[in-house]
Amino acid sequence: MRYVFFILFICVMIISGCKNKLPIEDDISSAHFMLVNQDSAVVEFPDYLRGKIAVMGFIFTNCPDICPLTTNNMQRIKAELEKENIKDVLFTSLSFDPARDKPFVLKDYARIRNIDLKNWQFLTGQMSVVDSIKKKMHFFAVAADTSYSEDGKKYYFFVHTDRISLIDRQGRVRKNYKGSTINIGEIVNDIKQIM
Amino acid sequence: MLRIILLLLLFLPAKSFIQIKDAWMRPAARGMNSAVYFEIINDGSSADTLYAVKSDLAKLTEMHETYQRGNMTGMRKVNNVVVKPKSSFKFQPGSHHIMLITMQKEMKQGDKATILLRFKRSGDIKVNVEVKM
Ligand SMILES: [Cu+2]
Repeated sequence: MRYVFFILFICVMIISGCKNKLPIEDDISSAHFMLVNQDSAVVEFPDYLRGKIAVMGFIFTNCPDICPLTTNNMQRIKAELEKENIKDVLFTSLSFDPARDKPFVLKDYARIRNIDLKNWQFLTGQMSVVDSIKKKMHFFAVAADTSYSEDGKKYYFFVHTDRISLIDRQGRVRKNYKGSTINIGEIVNDIKQIM
Repeated sequence: MLRIILLLLLFLPAKSFIQIKDAWMRPAARGMNSAVYFEIINDGSSADTLYAVKSDLAKLTEMHETYQRGNMTGMRKVNNVVVKPKSSFKFQPGSHHIMLITMQKEMKQGDKATILLRFKRSGDIKVNVEVKM
């Protein structure tokens, strides 16, 4: 009998341990940021995510290598969730290059990748607002690594945090992943845990 | 002696030992950027150097590499890539890529294009590239 209790005790420990595996990384629930989406509609972030689980990627559309990997990975996460019939998850891609990423640029970026925008928004906004979000979410991006064309035009790129964030229904960041190399199974399991 | 020289000449000519495999690029709207990826296979007994890339797809074409610094990532220009004898070198996502800056036209999934790779020994190699996700 004592064995049964012991085993039960271990099981409870393991289950509660799993529940606590996703601590709160950043609580952004009390913040209100005014952004615009790919259709130039005003979006209040993170308010519009309230009550939903959100997968959020950070991108700049001039990025040809890492950010497309992050975006592709979000498409794979979305496909996997659809396959498992998990609804109620919103996707958000925030541009940290609002100077160049105007709504129409983001719309093109989504169109060329056949992204269904039903539960996915691409967000941009005023530089100061985007900077505040970066600060709040401990995301870093510095303009660097410049190229010049023959006519002397300057092209800049960012050194930036490589990130996809998982946000719970209360607007709290529960986990940050490396966006370009995220394990799809891992985040899908994490999403199930906070359902 | 002449025969030996002739025989040597048979082996020396600039036959390209460089092969380019699985070339593809990312989709991009006009005015945006894209990246081209492929594998360079060097079957020869000497190294070869990729020193330039030409393309009329974009306003500016460069060789880049992505690098990691802790949780941060960035990319920088590289001037050339040396492919050692009997080995291969991969341009792949998250690593080396041909950077197409300011696309002159839109490239959608399934579209095809050519770029020109310039090698020190093997000369110019035309590469067919297909747009993939
Ligand atoms: Cu690049």
